[in-house]
Amino acid sequence: MNTQMAAIIKKDMQSITSNKRMFATLLIVPIVLTIFLPSVFILTLYFVPEEGEELLQLLETLPLPLQSGSSLQSMILLMLNFILPGFFLMIPIMASSVMSAASFVGEKEKRTLETLLYCPLSLKQIFRSKVTASFLISMVVSGISFAAMLVVVEALSYTITGGFVLPDIKWIFILFLVAPAISLIAITLIVRMSAKAQSVEDAQQGAVFLLIPVLLLLIGQFTGILLISSWLLLSIGILCAFAAVILLNKSMSHFQYETLLKN
Amino acid sequence: MNAITLIELSKTYPGGKKAVDSVNINLSPGEVFGFLGPNGAGKTTTVKLLGGMLRPTGGSCSIFAIDSVKEPEKVHALCGVVTEHAQMYDSLTGIQNLMFYGSVYGLSSSESQKRGLELLNQLELSEAKDQKLFSYSTGMRQRLSLARSLIHQPKILFLDEPTSGLDPESAQNVHGMIRHLAKEKGITVFLCTHQLRYAQEICTRYGLMDKGRLLAEGTLDQLRTKVCSGAVMKIKATGVPSDLSCHQTPEGVLEIPIQSEEEVPKTARRIVESGGNIYHISTKLPSLEDIYFHLTNRKENCR
Repeated sequence: MNTQMAAIIKKDMQSITSNKRMFATLLIVPIVLTIFLPSVFILTLYFVPEEGEELLQLLETLPLPLQSGSSLQSMILLMLNFILPGFFLMIPIMASSVMSAASFVGEKEKRTLETLLYCPLSLKQIFRSKVTASFLISMVVSGISFAAMLVVVEALSYTITGGFVLPDIKWIFILFLVAPAISLIAITLIVRMSAKAQSVEDAQQGAVFLLIPVLLLLIGQFTGILLISSWLLLSIGILCAFAAVILLNKSMSHFQYETLLKN
Repeated sequence: MNAITLIELSKTYPGGKKAVDSVNINLSPGEVFGFLGPNGAGKTTTVKLLGGMLRPTGGSCSIFAIDSVKEPEKVHALCGVVTEHAQMYDSLTGIQNLMFYGSVYGLSSSESQKRGLELLNQLELSEAKDQKLFSYSTGMRQRLSLARSLIHQPKILFLDEPTSGLDPESAQNVHGMIRHLAKEKGITVFLCTHQLRYAQEICTRYGLMDKGRLLAEGTLDQLRTKVCSGAVMKIKATGVPSDLSCHQTPEGVLEIPIQSEEEVPKTARRIVESGGNIYHISTKLPSLEDIYFHLTNRKENCR
């Protein structure tokens, strides 16, 4: 990484905060998924306990450590470690899609890409800088979202049950493996589409189908068909990381000035 | 070593449109080359080929012997490019834009700022340096693009219609700057334009393009010899012999086509000897515009 690439990364990261519309998009989804949603879940369990009966049945099938403490606390723990991961994974996908669409297609749309391509950096260096900027924003948003979610869940748990709930090891896998890997996959997909996409919206739509596996995972959780175990998450994470590296390298080798500037 | 070399350079777009057709040009350092032609002549495509943004379908092009296709980033380090399609960031101010591009070209932050402020001053943009680009007029943007292209002190400047959208005063200022850059700093300028009068003021050599083909190339004198050698003798006189082939303008000035300036005294003598009176004589050599129109067949004859 040289100072020229660092300049592009810095500019891309600053541009997201100066664009109010994009910044709002980056904020709203994490707020809904990590603050609003857990609060609604926990408050529903507290105020309407009969709604949680089905969850209690599910609790009986779970490993022993989850069954310690009050049933309300167990349900909060269940939510934190089994339901929220699925919702949480939407954040890196969303953040990296918004950022990379603005970074690649946005520059093309605003005719600033050509100016950047005339700089004395190779296409790979420009590409890497932009991927890094999108990736860093995605990781920062994911990290802050996780912290906010934890604060909200712990505060509500303590207020309602008088005790804290502990996130299990799968959150480590999510934060350090799955979220970075799916961010990279989302960025790569947007970048691949950037040659054909004419607008930022076009490119973002393409990343929507990345949400499908996450939604399936969530449905699996709710219906009890598939429970996310730590080992399953680790495997998914490793698989995604491999896929991300392969896709990224393949995309880089495909790029030429002419295809990038094609209208 | 040539600053710019084009050898049989051709580009045919995937749809089959031949934008550049076997063009050969060699430019020495410090030349101001006017690349002239109507819209769609292939001027911008040529600049993109030289900058490595497009791959030629035939021939080759190089900048100081560096192949534009094989080592585009090395070429970019030597060149500054101003084209209609190369815009800057609306969300940044004038000086922030210049500092960003300065750092991307490898200048330190303080160097970029110093150089940026100097260029803004030269291009009369100092007062707008802290304004975001979205509030800039077309002319201001154009001048800022020129400042951006000069931030890293390039050896070659590619300017694609650099004065479009500028008022005459700003255009004059930009032309003065181009002339100065070539003369004092030895920068080679590749100027694409269809403003022929301005081109004639600042260029040392010309290439006339139409439909992808280089119709003629050379200095103005060379083009006059190659393309349109005839001059016009303008004379205000009475008693002009009737057998003298001439055309009278609405202002009463007679225009007599001549092959060389040697014919001027001979013609004047004939008028005087036949009893006529001469009030004014001048000769007009074909301008770049005359040569251009002659070549593109827009006008049948040189005026």
